[in-house]
Amino acid sequence: MRRAPLSRRSPLTGTLAAAVAALSALSLLTACSTERKKDPDAPEPGTVRVLASSELGDMTPVLDQVRKDTGLTVRPTYMGTLDAVDLLAKGKADSRFDAVWLSSNAYLRLRPDAAKKVVSETPVMSSPVAIGVKTQTVNSLGWQPDHVTWSQVEKAVADGRLTYGMTDPARSNSGFSTLISVASALSGAQSALTDADVAKATPRLKEFFRGQKLTSGSSGWLASAYTRRGNVDALLNYESVLKGIPGLTVIRPTDGVVTADYPLSSLAASDATARADVRRLADDLRTDAVQRLITERTHRRPVVASVRPAAGLDTSRRRELPFPGSRSVADGLLDSYENELRRPSRTVYVLDTSGSMEGDRLSRLKKALTDLTGDFREREEVTLMPFGSEVKSARTHVVSPSDPQRGLAAIRKDTRSLEADGETAIYTSLEKAYDHLATDSDTFTSIVLMTDGENTTGDDAGDFDAFYRGLGAARRDIPVFPILFGDSDRAELAHIADLTGGRLFDAQQGSLDGAFEEIRGYQ
Amino acid sequence: MRRIAGIVLAVLLIGGVVAAVVAGREHGDKGTATKTVHIVIGSEKAEFFADPDVVKALAAKGYTVQAETSGSWAMEGLDLKGYDVAFPSSQAPAAELAAKYKVRGTLPRPFYSPLVVVAHRGAAEVLAGNGLATLDAKNRGTLRMAAYLDAARHDRTWQQLKGAAKYGELTGTLYISSTDPETSNSGALYLAAASYVADGGRVVSSDADIARTAPLLHKLVSVQGAQQSSSDANFRDFVSGAGNPLVLVYESQVASLLGQQRDPGDLVVLYPDTTVNSDHTVVPLTENGRGLAELLGTDPVLRKLAVRHGFRPQGDTAEFTAAAAGHTAYLKQQLTGVRQAPVPTSKVLHELARRARG
Repeated sequence: MRRAPLSRRSPLTGTLAAAVAALSALSLLTACSTERKKDPDAPEPGTVRVLASSELGDMTPVLDQVRKDTGLTVRPTYMGTLDAVDLLAKGKADSRFDAVWLSSNAYLRLRPDAAKKVVSETPVMSSPVAIGVKTQTVNSLGWQPDHVTWSQVEKAVADGRLTYGMTDPARSNSGFSTLISVASALSGAQSALTDADVAKATPRLKEFFRGQKLTSGSSGWLASAYTRRGNVDALLNYESVLKGIPGLTVIRPTDGVVTADYPLSSLAASDATARADVRRLADDLRTDAVQRLITERTHRRPVVASVRPAAGLDTSRRRELPFPGSRSVADGLLDSYENELRRPSRTVYVLDTSGSMEGDRLSRLKKALTDLTGDFREREEVTLMPFGSEVKSARTHVVSPSDPQRGLAAIRKDTRSLEADGETAIYTSLEKAYDHLATDSDTFTSIVLMTDGENTTGDDAGDFDAFYRGLGAARRDIPVFPILFGDSDRAELAHIADLTGGRLFDAQQGSLDGAFEEIRGYQ
Repeated sequence: MRRIAGIVLAVLLIGGVVAAVVAGREHGDKGTATKTVHIVIGSEKAEFFADPDVVKALAAKGYTVQAETSGSWAMEGLDLKGYDVAFPSSQAPAAELAAKYKVRGTLPRPFYSPLVVVAHRGAAEVLAGNGLATLDAKNRGTLRMAAYLDAARHDRTWQQLKGAAKYGELTGTLYISSTDPETSNSGALYLAAASYVADGGRVVSSDADIARTAPLLHKLVSVQGAQQSSSDANFRDFVSGAGNPLVLVYESQVASLLGQQRDPGDLVVLYPDTTVNSDHTVVPLTENGRGLAELLGTDPVLRKLAVRHGFRPQGDTAEFTAAAAGHTAYLKQQLTGVRQAPVPTSKVLHELARRARG
């Protein structure tokens, strides 16, 4: 059952460039504060510029050791698999990076135009997809952690006895591998997934994903949201991530897992010096000492036989579920997940259209929102709530599977008619957004707050805190994702994010398009 | 920055040439000046060229080698300008490269290694218990290719095999994981061996042969899903306890692991009763490259080091036999009894790979 590629990614150029620029700027700050103003993408002797999976953020102590061993500094730019593969395929990684280091090259291999950019691949470590379950839930389900199947997980979900969180497969490596694992296992496929397997498994998968109560663009936020919520029973992620979260029993289902093997890959476009550096990096990463450090510090498994996995990593074997062999199967599965299998998202966009937005800022907002309509999923419910001195309007649109273009066109029309005037009533408008959201709907519900200034009228921060604390438990689970833009106040917005369990996004360093796009992973 | 580096480099190079000429005049030509040789190799030879003793042995002969890995068939797609040697893992891609870069003369083949299948003990015993393999030492056996291909033809699953239920990981379709036959040598040679057996001990050569064997080859490949692009990656996954129960690797990868006295765990080496040797073949692209190519096959120290990395040097078998003496639980010292399937022409092999993947 193929559909029009509704939720295929919006043009990547702007958002990727923004993300890369922002991240490079960050790493530049930490890496070489003496040389500001320099092009952050420029090659530098002794520095290996790596396009990396965000999961590799935990490798800092290992990379410190590698620097001592080799004198090489790794400068990572984190990105989801699909974006990274797209960047490679379009040739945009060629001069900006010396190596690609994703959790797996399986998806990359399905794109010949990206695969041919890679010369050599050196697997560095491995980690299987697993499910981390609250120990108390494991007990109440009567599970023996060594003998749990995906079908049992599915049954627990269907019986309403298990809820879980996972990362967004379109934006995170771990989410993508998790989706493949679950789909392969529940389809009953005996070998690599086919379109027919996915179609057959759709009803079961739908049921399975009803249990997903948390979604996230990154593993880090998923873990903190899980801890904060307290009412989610489990997380699906790589074993290495789950082992780092206290209180979880980590289960590798016996009917199979997909394993990430983290190949450090050099690029065909690099010059000989850069490639020699990547090779030295790869060699050092596979020494016994570094392999030991990797497994002890990151809970991943070593790839050399002479180093044992760290204590607590069970070595009994699991079937390796094959990764789909064609792009159509992988993309088709992703497409079904976004538009059909997962719970839909329900979002209120609280948009500052006060007087200070007049001119360039308002046009940037309009452009960013219009671009974003290319990324909305089927069944998604979107409310635009522009505000100045007060909320100006609240119009809700649904992207209906039968006629998605109608809802999207309506969002674009409303966007075009936004006008800048009035003061900035951030808190009062946020309160209206909470009032607007019903809590009985089966959706991922969140609020996005975009403002270019400080609160000037209406309720103040204290009033909002009191309002939030007075909400029922279900509404308190709705996070606000504020976007730092123009002259908005970081401390003010960070407080809102902390209070509501959201996350702050920065469109001062990066672009507004980039921030809206990144938030998609959390909706 | 890069542009500046380029200019600086150009200046240095010009300066370097001048300096070399001057130095040459001053010291006379002693022939020991180090020649830096850029070489692109199949991943399974990476450890050989990274070995400090190999580096030393090459330096003693005046060579510094900068090696980079690539799938053997993918080398065709690389721009090899600036490289002195391409060193794919078998003759067919080497012949194509030689034609492309107009390299004349015999291409040296310093060492070779047969394709083998590695399995963990449990999987090997299940295969043996079901007539798909025989075990003749604790960690060594023979894979019966015809029986295996028959199982593949009938989509046999592990669950259907006697004794598999004991091992949780043994479920799903029974298959051997190989690398991508379109880019990597071991994957392509797997198809060569399989097609030879499937076609009743004949080398596939005509369109009719291709059409007859293609469906089975397609099955062997499509069940695997996305394939690794290098045999090194497949073997690493296996060693780290991940991946498919049966993995196609080079014997050299196992022998090298054993030679380093590393614990191979409960690994079993299954020699297919019909297999293909990978004849690591050197394609010299420059004069320096030719010198290196010569050296690899003839220098006794390098031959010995090749054995340390699990390769069988061409010609005399004594070196490998001696080295394998301590590891006969895993390795066959002599390849007697292992039939060598001839490899189809590279045109045919390409077509088989294309159809298998398609």
